[in-house]
Amino acid sequence: MKSPHVPPVYTHADEIILAVEQGEIGPVEAIQLFQQLEGHKNLTTGNGSQKESRLHEALNELDSLIGLGKVKSLIFEIQAFVSIQKRRQEEGLAVEPMVLHMIFKGNPGTGKTTVARILGKIFCELGVLSRGHLMEVERADLVGEYIGHTAQKTREQVKKALGGILFIDEAYSLARGGEKDFGKEAIDCLVKAMEDHKDNLILILAGYQKEMQAFLDTNPGLRSRFPIHIDFPDYTLNELERIAWQMLKKRQYKLDDGAKAELSSILAKNVQLKSEHNGNARFVRNIIEKAIRRQAVRLLRQETISRDDLMIITKADLEEVKDE
Amino acid sequence: MKECLVIGQTNVGKTVFVVNFARFLGLKKLEMSFRYPDGMLVKKSYQMEGARQELVGSTPHTTRALQSIIVQLPAGKGKKELTITDTSGLTDSIHKDEIVRRAMAQTLASVRQADLIIHLLDAARVGETNGSEGIGTIDYQVAEFAQMRGNYCILANKMDIPAARLGYVKIRQEFPGHLILPVSALKQTGLKEVKAFVLRTV
Repeated sequence: MKSPHVPPVYTHADEIILAVEQGEIGPVEAIQLFQQLEGHKNLTTGNGSQKESRLHEALNELDSLIGLGKVKSLIFEIQAFVSIQKRRQEEGLAVEPMVLHMIFKGNPGTGKTTVARILGKIFCELGVLSRGHLMEVERADLVGEYIGHTAQKTREQVKKALGGILFIDEAYSLARGGEKDFGKEAIDCLVKAMEDHKDNLILILAGYQKEMQAFLDTNPGLRSRFPIHIDFPDYTLNELERIAWQMLKKRQYKLDDGAKAELSSILAKNVQLKSEHNGNARFVRNIIEKAIRRQAVRLLRQETISRDDLMIITKADLEEVKDE
Repeated sequence: MKECLVIGQTNVGKTVFVVNFARFLGLKKLEMSFRYPDGMLVKKSYQMEGARQELVGSTPHTTRALQSIIVQLPAGKGKKELTITDTSGLTDSIHKDEIVRRAMAQTLASVRQADLIIHLLDAARVGETNGSEGIGTIDYQVAEFAQMRGNYCILANKMDIPAARLGYVKIRQEFPGHLILPVSALKQTGLKEVKAFVLRTV
C-alpha cells in the first residue's frame, strides 16, 4: 500500500477490481467502493433523465446536420407541439389529434432518409412511437404481381413498420403505370393502414420535388392526409464544403492545402451544373470515399508511412477522382 | 440471456448448490463453461454424478473460475434460458495467494453485472457458533450492495445439519428485510422455493 492514511480514489470499477487482484484492498472494501460508485451514478442519472438525455442526443444529432435550416425549425416545431400536447393530456385538457404523417420533397442526397431516421428516435423518446425504427421501402416492396398480391405485400410491410416510421422512397412511382397498375392498390392499402394504426405508425412519403407534386395532384385525397410537408433544398456550395469537412473529420482524415482548393473547385463545378441528379451530399461522400481509396494505394507504394501520412489526403488523390 | 450469480464465502456449498439445482431443474448432463481470471475459456461436459466429485471439495477455494451452466425454465407457454454461474468464494481478508485474489476479483466484477444474485450462507456454522462465525463482514456488505440493486435472495444452506435451525433464526435476525430461504443443497430440500424466486425475476 502506498500511503495508509490517504486511500486512493477509485473512479472506475476496473480500478477497484485491479486493486483487489494486487492485494491492495480486500473484497469487503471493494464492495463498499462499488456501492459508493453506484450511489453516485444513481444520483447523476436517474431513470427519467436518461430518457431526457436520449432525446437531447437525438435533437443534437439533428442540429449537427449541416444546412437544412427550414427543415430543422419545422422539426423543432413538431417536437414542441408533441411535448405540449402530452402535457395538456396530463392536465386533462382537450388534445389535438396528432397526425404526423409527412411528405418529404427533395433531390437525392439532400438528407431525407437521415432526417427520417432521427425523427424516429425523437418520436420514440417523446412517447409517440413505441419503437421508433425506420422501415425503408420502395415500390417493389409494396406492389405485387397479381391481383390481391399487392394488398398482402403492403400489409406485411406495414406490420413490420408498426411502432416506427414507414418511409416510402420514390413514392410517386406508386402512381406510375396508369389505371391498371397495382400501385393504386398499394396506395389504398396504405391509406387504410394510416387510419387503422394512427396511434403507432408514421408514414413518410419521399421523392423528387416535381414528381411528388404531380403525384399529389393526381391523388387529391392524399394531400389532406399528410399534414406536414417538408422541402429539402439542394445544398449550397458552402454547405457542401462543410459537409466534406465534417465527413473527413469523422473519418479522421485531413486535406492538405492543394487538396482543399481542388475540392472547392470540384464542388463549385458540380453546383454550377445545377443538375437535378448531381447527388448533393451523396456526391461529396463518393468523392471522399474514392479519395481515401486512392490515398491507400498511394501510401502502399511509399516505403515508409508516418502517422501524418495516414491522415493526409493530397491534391493528387482528389485529382484522379475528378478525371473519371 | 439473464445471468444468475451464486456467491458466498468459501465452503458454504455454492458448487454443490449449482450442481444440484441444475439437476432439480431437470438437467441430465452438465455442460459447464469455465471462465478463468486470465481470460481462458474451457468447456467441459459432466455426468451428474461425476460433476460432484470433480468440482466439489472440502478445502477452501476449490472453485477458481466462473463456472457457468445454461438451464431452461418454463415461462408461460415457452421456455426461457438462464445462465447460472458458480463463483469463487469471497473472504473478509486479503488473501495471500495471487491466484485466489484474481479469482475473487473476477467474482466481484461479475457481481456488478449479474441480473440475479443468490447469496449462500452456511447456516450450520452460524448455528454452532451463534453467529460469531459464518457471517462475515463481506456478507453484510454484499447484502447491502445487492439489496440496492434488487433481484437478490439469501439462502441459508446446510439445513440438513441440526444446528442449522438455530443458524437460520440468527440469519433472519441479522438480515432483516431480505428474502431468506432455508435450503439444503446436499439433500436437495427447499429448491422449489429457489426456483420460484428465479422464475419471478427472469
